[in-house]
Amino acid sequence: MSSIVYLRLKKHVHLRPMQQIRLADIAYISTMAPNKMKLAETNLYQITKQDKQAVVLDSFQIIEQIHAQFPDLEIQLVGPTYTIVNVEKKKHKHSILLASFVWILLFIGTAMTIMNFHYDVSMLEVQQKLHFLFTGRQSDHPLWIQIPYSFGLGIGMLLFFNHWFKKRFNEEPSPLEIELFQYQQSMDEYMSYHENALHDKKHLP
Amino acid sequence: MIKNIFLNMLEGLTGFASGLAVGCGFVALLTVLGIIPRLVQLSKSAHLIKSYTGAVIAGTLFGTFLSFSDITWNQPNGTLLLWGTFHGIFNGMLAAALTEVLNVFPILSKRLRIDQYLKSLLMAFVFGKVAGSLFQWLIFVQK
Repeated sequence: MSSIVYLRLKKHVHLRPMQQIRLADIAYISTMAPNKMKLAETNLYQITKQDKQAVVLDSFQIIEQIHAQFPDLEIQLVGPTYTIVNVEKKKHKHSILLASFVWILLFIGTAMTIMNFHYDVSMLEVQQKLHFLFTGRQSDHPLWIQIPYSFGLGIGMLLFFNHWFKKRFNEEPSPLEIELFQYQQSMDEYMSYHENALHDKKHLP
Repeated sequence: MIKNIFLNMLEGLTGFASGLAVGCGFVALLTVLGIIPRLVQLSKSAHLIKSYTGAVIAGTLFGTFLSFSDITWNQPNGTLLLWGTFHGIFNGMLAAALTEVLNVFPILSKRLRIDQYLKSLLMAFVFGKVAGSLFQWLIFVQK
């Protein structure tokens, strides 16, 4: 009698080097079959030294391996069709130096970009002219425009990024978080294709 | 007196509104170009993303301050060197991200069927930028 096994692969898992990958490590399993525990313990893959940072396990490979050991099970896939196994050498420690570098890079980069923009569009002249239009007086530093402008600049950016330190303005994710998410997804898709043993490396697009 | 207050309010409102527009547009550009996700990925520091947002905002405000004030500091040339280096890296990332967003390389290499030379195309882009920049500052503007 064949019973159905529902498998939902986990998209991302983090495992140690030289570890045996069991089915339970990479998938959620739902089945009425009596040997569920044994199924969950099935070894699928041995992480070797040759594997670098990531291994992609395609659902097809997984199904073939399970079929080889449990011929009477019928497998139904739900969700992702591959799992990306990230092989972590050791617990990643966050480099404060690198983060500071990125911070300063962003700080100086954006400072210069906005300065170039201000000079590019002759913003100071426009503000001086505007100040003259409004008040009839010449002023080299029309602070009544410039200070609110600066506040507006900061507030506009905060509105766009959708948070103020820990506090969010609403439940929506910020465009930056979406951008990060999409970046990760594109990387996953690339990995699932290029690191996949089922794809012939000679016929890449 | 009242007219003055009114005019000041008007100026303030104009400044605030233009700041809001520029701020939104500026970060929208940075986000579309995807520089921050790339940096986060390179430095493996997704948990610091809020801090980086702070860097962007602080940097922009500092740049605004520098644009509109005429204060001077007595900094050594080393500061300029560091500042220029960081600015260069950031600008390089901007330029590269722009070409990437516009799909210049994939389209070019598909059209001309030179997919296998993609890496050397990229190098041409890099060397061209460096040579162009050096040419501009060392020769072009010296005349």
